[in-house]
Amino acid sequence: MATTTSQQVLLCPAELAYLHSSLSLTPPIRPDGRTPTHFRPLVAETDILPGTNGSARICFADGTEAIVGVKAEVEKTRGVEEGVEESEVREDEKEGRSEWVELTVEIPGVRDDDGGTAFLSAMLGEALLSDGGFVKRLWINRRWHWKLYLDILLISPPLSYPLPLLSLTTHLALLATRLPRLKSEGVEDPFFDDDWAAAPYLYPRDKKSGKALARPPVTLLVMAVGRNIIFDPAKEELAVADVALAVSVGEAAETGDNDMGGKGRKLRLLSVRTIDPPSRVTPPGVPNATNAAYGAAGTTQKQPEARMAEAEAVEGVWRAPRGGAKPLVMAALVQKTLERGGVADEVLDALEGVDLG
Amino acid sequence: MPREAEPSLNERQFVLKALEENLRLDGRTFDKYRALALTFGDEYGVADVTLGRTRVLAKTSAEVTVPYADRPLDGIFTITTELSPMASPAFEINRPTETEILLSRLLEKTVRRSGAMDTESLCLVAGQKCWSVRVDVHVLSHDGNLTDAACFAVVAALRHFRKPDTSMEGGVLTVYTPAEREPVPLSWLHSPFCITWCFFGDEGQMALLDATWSEEQVRVGSCTISLNRHGEICQIAKLGGTPVEAVALLQCTNVALTKAKEFSTYLDKKLAEDAKRRDKDGLMAELSAENDR
Amino acid sequence: MPLDTSAYSLALLRVDGRRWNELRRVHAQIRTQAAADGSSYLEMGHTKVMCVVNGPSEPGPRRGTAGGGGGGGGPGGVAEVAVSVVVAGFSSVDRKRRGRGDKRTLELQTTISNALAASLHTHLYPHSTISISLHVLSQDGSLLAALINAATLACVDAGIPMTDYVVACTAGSTSTYAANDETADPLLDLNHQEEQELPSLTVATLGETDRVAVLVCESRVQASRLEGMLAVGVSGCHQVREILDQVVRDKGRHMIKEGTVEKGMGVEEMEVD
Repeated sequence: MATTTSQQVLLCPAELAYLHSSLSLTPPIRPDGRTPTHFRPLVAETDILPGTNGSARICFADGTEAIVGVKAEVEKTRGVEEGVEESEVREDEKEGRSEWVELTVEIPGVRDDDGGTAFLSAMLGEALLSDGGFVKRLWINRRWHWKLYLDILLISPPLSYPLPLLSLTTHLALLATRLPRLKSEGVEDPFFDDDWAAAPYLYPRDKKSGKALARPPVTLLVMAVGRNIIFDPAKEELAVADVALAVSVGEAAETGDNDMGGKGRKLRLLSVRTIDPPSRVTPPGVPNATNAAYGAAGTTQKQPEARMAEAEAVEGVWRAPRGGAKPLVMAALVQKTLERGGVADEVLDALEGVDLG
Repeated sequence: MPREAEPSLNERQFVLKALEENLRLDGRTFDKYRALALTFGDEYGVADVTLGRTRVLAKTSAEVTVPYADRPLDGIFTITTELSPMASPAFEINRPTETEILLSRLLEKTVRRSGAMDTESLCLVAGQKCWSVRVDVHVLSHDGNLTDAACFAVVAALRHFRKPDTSMEGGVLTVYTPAEREPVPLSWLHSPFCITWCFFGDEGQMALLDATWSEEQVRVGSCTISLNRHGEICQIAKLGGTPVEAVALLQCTNVALTKAKEFSTYLDKKLAEDAKRRDKDGLMAELSAENDR
Repeated sequence: MPLDTSAYSLALLRVDGRRWNELRRVHAQIRTQAAADGSSYLEMGHTKVMCVVNGPSEPGPRRGTAGGGGGGGGPGGVAEVAVSVVVAGFSSVDRKRRGRGDKRTLELQTTISNALAASLHTHLYPHSTISISLHVLSQDGSLLAALINAATLACVDAGIPMTDYVVACTAGSTSTYAANDETADPLLDLNHQEEQELPSLTVATLGETDRVAVLVCESRVQASRLEGMLAVGVSGCHQVREILDQVVRDKGRHMIKEGTVEKGMGVEEMEVD
């Protein structure tokens, strides 16, 4: 279970109760007028830093902004015996290791060893690595491999839970990442082509359309209030979430000939993590029935009774959610994310629209 | 985190008003240092510096280690500073304050980065063995101007230090004890000294040398200039604070140069005195392994 | 990699083709970030930094970041200027990660904080914190200067009253310290390669005055050369101020045109000159 997002919620119980009930309506009414599956608009650009192998910047409409830079270095693979001549390498022998990728997250005003930051980078790394094909791409030959450093910077103060933003930015940066073209062959020490224009993409692209044939995973934030499932929650919405999930979605290898972009996309669920929503630490409201200020008789003398009354849900009075989520809700959450034409599909489509390089 | 007690408004006003009338609390002129005293320990490489009521002890030590992989031909030279609660209640152990970080950066830039010591001479076997020379700076009492005192102590300790003599024969490295062979001094190139100016007044128009703790509390900015007696600037650090006229800064540098020369002469004199004390019976020349060829 | 400094004396051109008194291209933007109170993006050649300012605001829960005392603002009833510098791992040619505890980064933070605190009217905001966070995206020399300029611009954008711009740039000298060469020319605005090879210093002045807020020199240089380097540095700062001022004015005009702000007293004044 993750630690709560570092920001505190500055909403009073009455506001929380109002938000919660409006989000529980069918259809839910969100404070910013979006539909439940509506993503916040975003501005994205790639290849902003010529000094990196790949970079991207995304700015969400609420002003949160992130920059990701990817740097690659050639490294000797450890634990490989020297001198073993291998004439041919079979495709299935190519294997990657998770330590070939190093991922760091920087959030302003948060310590390096902060639990929340560590959790964020672990979650982003997990999604990348669980897509087993990713580290394979870093393989050069039996003795050498690329080491990929992903530096994820949150530029703005962390207004909303930054996970989706960071994940989308990483996604774009990886798509824009290019590695120098290998000129050497076989197991000899690698040397590379100086021509940057000839450098192939880490995620190979279709020659004609320039579209990437495979794509890195994205992690989305989904939350549930009552029976409603809401995507890309803003900070205020997250404050009343019953349950929040970080769902990592990858693209299954494309089969068949489909030039229709996202239509034939097959999505794969890579990982699911529950996020401890900040709603758990919100102060509860006090029903009028037990509020001394409203003349509830005898509350001051009979404390134990008052506390019992508080434990019972009263319509329109805020109470922090307790306990877990129902399996049905969880299943629906995942289902909604993955369905064809669903949010993940939409997001991937939108990211495809970003002009790469 | 404990904080230094701030001076009261009255104290503040008193110090500033006096300065406006060209007076310092201890009656010095603006460009005069407090009494500087240097004593060497019985061991080589220990220097105890007092500057008024500020007292700093520097101790040098050396051991044979493996050089850094990226610098196989260089020895290792480190300066560590420790400001203990003994010097001021605002300092805590294991939690470097801003003062400590800036002090250690200044010493690093003044002594190490300016190439005061020839680190290549510390190399014994390329890529395998080298000397690691380490200076520990302990602040025993803090009454302002730590930087100048600490820098002087570090330079004095290093110049006083003697490391065991070594020899290489057929790939075998021998380190001799002081009884076998007289230890040898470090290969020293130049001696830089820090001179700190403190600025006072709304526009930083008053500049003071060697400010005491109470003066440091009310200053609006400071500038530390490191120079050696050859007139080379090793480092300048005016890290923010009230802006000061560029011409005034140049003036400060010129005065700092004369002060650095004074420091240098004083240190040379003290080193000579100490050498004489150790060389009572004139045995040193005999013990030395070096030949005058 | 020894820099071929001999080429300079032949054509009087530097490695990147500039003359001795030329700045690199300075490109700056303000208000790049909607969520912050003030923000800026600044390029000096290939050195690229971003700055985000929040506040003056009530100090939040005490954070572990260094650079300030935390708690109830700075001493003596003035706002605390808390600066955090994040040097991105991908900013230099070889990836090198610097942690938060790195002494060089901490020194940068202290310098920027002290330099701005002297120019900002912090006494107007007692018991509050102005938090400035700087991100280094790409490094090619003159890092401290770029950071100071970016922080100044972001503070202007945040609308924090200040005496004048704090502007910075670097200056160097054409020959190394060893050569006691009296004919050495001063240089303006050094790039990374020049910074590695030649003596250099960073100067920050208060606007167009000759008053120096920051002076940092980290290399060995003859004291006699200081005057020339300082003079070139100060005049470079004046040029930088012109550029930054133009950026602010352009943005102001643009905002009036777009109707984001009403044409008011202060702004009208701006339109006149």
